[in-house]
Amino acid sequence: MSWPGFVSLGGAWLFLLLVPLVIFYFLKLKRPRMDIPSLALWRSVLNDQRVNAPFQRFKRNLLLLLQALLLICLALAAMQPFWPSGADRAQYLPILIDTSASMGALDTAGGRSRLEAAKEEIRKLIDNLLPDQRLSLIAVSSTARRLTDFSDNKRVLRDALAQIEVSPVASRLEDALRMTQALARTVPVETVVLYTDGNVPADIDFELPFQLNYQKLPPAGQNIGITAINARRSGERWDVFVRIDGSKEAQTTAGVQLLKNGQPIDDEVLSLEPGQSQRIVFHVDGEGPSSLEVRLKPDGFDSLASDNTVYLDLPVGRPLTVYCPPDLTSFRHALRGLKDVTLYPQDDGKGGASSYDLAISDRPSDAALDAAVLVSVGVLPDDLAKLVKVDSEIAEVVDWQRSAPLLQHVLLTDVQIAERPVSAAGVRDRDYEEQGYEILAQGRTGPLVLKKDASGRPSYFFLFHTDRSTLPYRVGFPILVTNAVQLAQAQAGLAEARGQSTGLLAPRTLKSETVYRVTAPDGEAVVSKTNAEGLLSGVSAAQVGRYRIEEGGREVASVGVSLLTGAESSLASVDRLQFKEIAVGASETILKSDRPLWPFFAVLGFVLLLAEWWFFQRRPGGLPA
Amino acid sequence: METVTASAQFTKLLDNATLSRLEKMRLNPRRRLTNRSRGEHQSGKGGSSTEFVDYRDYSPGDDMRYVDWNIFARLERPFIRLYRHEEEMHVVLLVDASSSMQFEDKFEKARQLAAAFGLMALMGVERVSAYSCNHVGTEPSCMAPCTGRVSRRRLFEFLEGIPAGGDFPIDEAVDAVLRRHRGRGIVVLLSDFLTFGDFQKPLNRLFSAGLEIFAVQILSPTELNPEIAGDLRFVDCENGQTLDISSAGDLLGIYHEHRLALEEELGILCRQRSGRFLSISSRDSLDWFLFDLLKRKGWVQ
Repeated sequence: MSWPGFVSLGGAWLFLLLVPLVIFYFLKLKRPRMDIPSLALWRSVLNDQRVNAPFQRFKRNLLLLLQALLLICLALAAMQPFWPSGADRAQYLPILIDTSASMGALDTAGGRSRLEAAKEEIRKLIDNLLPDQRLSLIAVSSTARRLTDFSDNKRVLRDALAQIEVSPVASRLEDALRMTQALARTVPVETVVLYTDGNVPADIDFELPFQLNYQKLPPAGQNIGITAINARRSGERWDVFVRIDGSKEAQTTAGVQLLKNGQPIDDEVLSLEPGQSQRIVFHVDGEGPSSLEVRLKPDGFDSLASDNTVYLDLPVGRPLTVYCPPDLTSFRHALRGLKDVTLYPQDDGKGGASSYDLAISDRPSDAALDAAVLVSVGVLPDDLAKLVKVDSEIAEVVDWQRSAPLLQHVLLTDVQIAERPVSAAGVRDRDYEEQGYEILAQGRTGPLVLKKDASGRPSYFFLFHTDRSTLPYRVGFPILVTNAVQLAQAQAGLAEARGQSTGLLAPRTLKSETVYRVTAPDGEAVVSKTNAEGLLSGVSAAQVGRYRIEEGGREVASVGVSLLTGAESSLASVDRLQFKEIAVGASETILKSDRPLWPFFAVLGFVLLLAEWWFFQRRPGGLPA
Repeated sequence: METVTASAQFTKLLDNATLSRLEKMRLNPRRRLTNRSRGEHQSGKGGSSTEFVDYRDYSPGDDMRYVDWNIFARLERPFIRLYRHEEEMHVVLLVDASSSMQFEDKFEKARQLAAAFGLMALMGVERVSAYSCNHVGTEPSCMAPCTGRVSRRRLFEFLEGIPAGGDFPIDEAVDAVLRRHRGRGIVVLLSDFLTFGDFQKPLNRLFSAGLEIFAVQILSPTELNPEIAGDLRFVDCENGQTLDISSAGDLLGIYHEHRLALEEELGILCRQRSGRFLSISSRDSLDWFLFDLLKRKGWVQ
């Protein structure tokens, strides 16, 4: 059995006021004199046995009793009693509130969302906040946002809680936990409460320095949503692939409508078994740029609305521009056999472009070409000159990254190489990485193929010249060239397009050092400036809809942003969160806070005050009408 | 509205209109307690007045002058004619003038009622005497018996001149009056009857003295419906004794029960002695009491 506790025991000193109360009460008993015609009747009244009955004796001092009770109530209220909940009492309690997309799911049609359910529970915590307790509200989505400092101001906490809204992004707990860890360095934090629907990654890369109370909210209703959209160019048209997932609750049917530049062009009807997904393919003409919008219209109740609309922007189809010097005959030969490739310089040695989608060259001077993807053959970059030398010995491929896009399906075994890159003494792989290089193929004495990303533009370096190897005679060589072309097509967005998911806008190449205004679907705008390479990055896109990029009031681009998160749309929840060392299970009981009792005593005191007033003002019983 | 000046009034106690109405009213006692001195009040006994009452059979020795010969001629049996005997009745007015009557016009009301009863008696050619008692140990003030219309002025002057104040309980006042009074008739007791004494003995003595009791209890509105609360110290205005009361508001119910019980007890004591009892408020209308209530209760006719 638990006993009430007191926050402010110093309030017990108020009980000493009982002493002057009693003293003043009896001093007050100097009764007012009142002349009456005769005492005869009143004396007989006092001789009546009823007057001297125990209850009547008690009533004589009822005023003192009521006043003493009133004072006791006030003193108890000042001591701020509370009824312990049984849980450990935390003075500083951070509350993490999941605001990811799945928290917007409703339990029933017209019902409340998971976030509203969480707010309801947190509101109880705020209402029962004791004077020495501080709460800090932290909204968790793909990032973490601290809404309040540690505060006991209920109005501030309630206002902050009311302003929390669902962000249609995937949930990620690490940032919030790290933020809480930082808070724990300033105040003693023993327990952190997490309110979520359980739709979070089960494995969390974080070492818990505090106790995590995982409050899992009741599950939402059934949901169906679009979880992926991408397109692949197929000749003159685009094949648009739309993936639709349904939750595990029940079978669902829905209609899917495709709009191109705001005009409906196709629709489909699908039926999903519980927990299954379905892929729908649409065919879209690829002549011009297209802004696609896919709308999902569930036939029944759908708990999450934010995943019912997705956007996809398709670029204009064009041939890939590739630069390859005439000396690299092997590469040019392989490139000629590929479709939609315009090769520069042409066979007659003429022609050229200001920029290329792909540049394959064995000339050090071509490193300055404006190319989206650069493949350098037999050229040692200047920044690697101290790390590696190339001699004329035979080199042998020891291993290579088979999953690297450039080397996919390329077999380098037994390739004879007449140039041998040799790492300088004491140089290790880490030294290349520090220079920004990634080793794709490793020889016995040093790296053979390297990759470097600069401002989003990949560059590949073959430290040996392919013409001095048997690679051009291998089956893998045309595959290698095809991989390079596909990389360039992907870089230029010509081969395929993927839907932009919420979170951050994908980096976009625009004019360098130019200020752009990015307007969100709800009308809020942010101003961002491109870097020297013209890259616009780091713009938050936390809403589903179209973001407009404007330069001086003129729209230069429009980007459709969609939820596109299978985990959020599935509304699946995890019962255990696996941290690095420990696992935290969802609490089976609702978090109960210590219940403050001072309002009860304050109300009781007020009632006693009213009772005292009523008792002495009421019309006594037995009076004639 | 016509304003009647004080000088035009016959008495300060009652206005002239009331006086003129009272002059036509007579007391209506239940018992016919009269004195042998001749008067206008009809006694219960057979008499020699001219007012016929009844017949009875002749008995040997009866006065032959009262035989109705006409009936004897028709029935051949002698019947004696009976006539009402008219004798004088003594009306005693006893006004409680103690300090307790000074509250809220109680004493004024008592004097007005005494004047009214006295006037009705004088106009009925009864003998009227009046007493007022103030202080214990002193003789009650007395107006000697008088009769007839001419005694009105004397009665009113006595009543107007009664001093207020004192501690004479009404029960002891009755004894003091009976020590001086002689004669049968009616005694009108005008008091609040708030005394520690026992009323049984004085009422018995009044009954034994041949006085029919007309008791009027006059209470003030404060006594009828006290509005008090909290802890108080009551002071008796007559003897200065004190009584501490706690939570007076809670005792009001019991107070009213005791007040009504006293009223009931007085009524029973009076009725057991063929008397009458009424309790009124000092704020009650005089006209209502004299011309409505008394008539309805049969006190006057």
